[in-house]
Amino acid sequence: MSETAIFTEGLSKSFRAQAAVRELSLKIQPGAVYGFLGRNGAGKTTTMRMLLGLVRPTKGSARVLGLDPTKEPELLRILERVGFVSQRKQLYGWATPAELVRMNKAYFPRWSDEAAAGLAKRLEIPMNMAFKTLSIGNQSKVALLLALAQGAEILILDEPTAGLDPVMVDEILRTLIEDHISQGRTIFVSSHHLSEVEQICDWVGILEEGQLLLESRLEEIRQEFRLVIASGEGLPVVLPTDVVSATTDGRFRRYVVAREAERFAAELRGQGATILEISPLGLRELFLHLVRKEDPCTLGNAGAKAAPVSSFS
Amino acid sequence: MLLHLNPSSGVPVYLQLEAQVKQAVAAGALRTGEALPSTRKLAAELRINPNTVARAYQDLERDGVTRSVPGGGTFVADGMPGLLKSEKVKRLRPHARQLAVEGRQLRMTREETLKLLEEELDKLGGQA
Repeated sequence: MSETAIFTEGLSKSFRAQAAVRELSLKIQPGAVYGFLGRNGAGKTTTMRMLLGLVRPTKGSARVLGLDPTKEPELLRILERVGFVSQRKQLYGWATPAELVRMNKAYFPRWSDEAAAGLAKRLEIPMNMAFKTLSIGNQSKVALLLALAQGAEILILDEPTAGLDPVMVDEILRTLIEDHISQGRTIFVSSHHLSEVEQICDWVGILEEGQLLLESRLEEIRQEFRLVIASGEGLPVVLPTDVVSATTDGRFRRYVVAREAERFAAELRGQGATILEISPLGLRELFLHLVRKEDPCTLGNAGAKAAPVSSFS
Repeated sequence: MLLHLNPSSGVPVYLQLEAQVKQAVAAGALRTGEALPSTRKLAAELRINPNTVARAYQDLERDGVTRSVPGGGTFVADGMPGLLKSEKVKRLRPHARQLAVEGRQLRMTREETLKLLEEELDKLGGQA
């Protein structure tokens, strides 16, 4: 188990002239539940597809459980040990979930019939209807069932709860915790549902335009990250590296500070600023501060790009 | 056990969990010798990461609130008789300071702040 679950170094992918993923370096330890966040088109899906050998990197390298997905024999071993739920469910449309279970089980040495039956019941999956006739929600659930029943060491989940109602989302979170995370297994999940991510993840990475903007333990965000709102003339333009974002809103400035917010606030006071607020911020707020660009009151994320955010990973 | 967590409040979830278990013990909702749910069960129930529960349980045991039996789960300990008075004071002082500072900042009078504290003590019921 000591092997890094997912490791990438300088991983890059361009589609013609368009860079989708740029110099991505990730190191995800076994047992981590890693939330991979970013706006649509940030490069999350392309990254996941590179890990599963579905897309070939333009540059850099990736290892999943120490294996190289660009090498055929190693890729087969990755696919045996990693469960993938993709956004676009590419399963045989004419087959029923029950048939899909029978087809899948032959490929996976650690397949559990018991788990499959339990999940089918708990997630209320209609097992005898053709896959293509199922709702998006039910298709997602089938894909999750197959991934969990295969006994995967790592689950790679691309928007697993998109299109599901809140009760189902809740049931899926419970299932993931009970049947996967509690066994010390790893999850690499992309989602726009930040409150769910906040509940089950212990790490988050925020991707923007193919680059990792921020990577941190979630508890560290809760404990250390603060929003500092200040007002005053001529506030600093050159920011210390702990400031991950700075935006201007009329006379006010908002800073997102990764640590020692009090000290930063004291510095601002020293320069004549009035500190209006120092408050913790939730994942949703942090995400918006980091990636939002079209706020009419905002001059732009001055600090977001300048700060070497990986320094506290 | 009725626990209510807020993952986006900015307070680390393991601290929220610890505080609520302590509160349940102080209020008598959890009694000495009563078993706490397993890490896995509580994590699934609350839909939070099991490591978070494990961390809270570790801290609670360190603080003498619970004790764990090897292979047999976690139980509410019988008070904290072993703790020295000076140690108790040391542990509570930051909270008292916080209350005093916030009270002053909100322009509460001394009596109003003390009354609040008394009300909270009353809510916990008649022990000691």
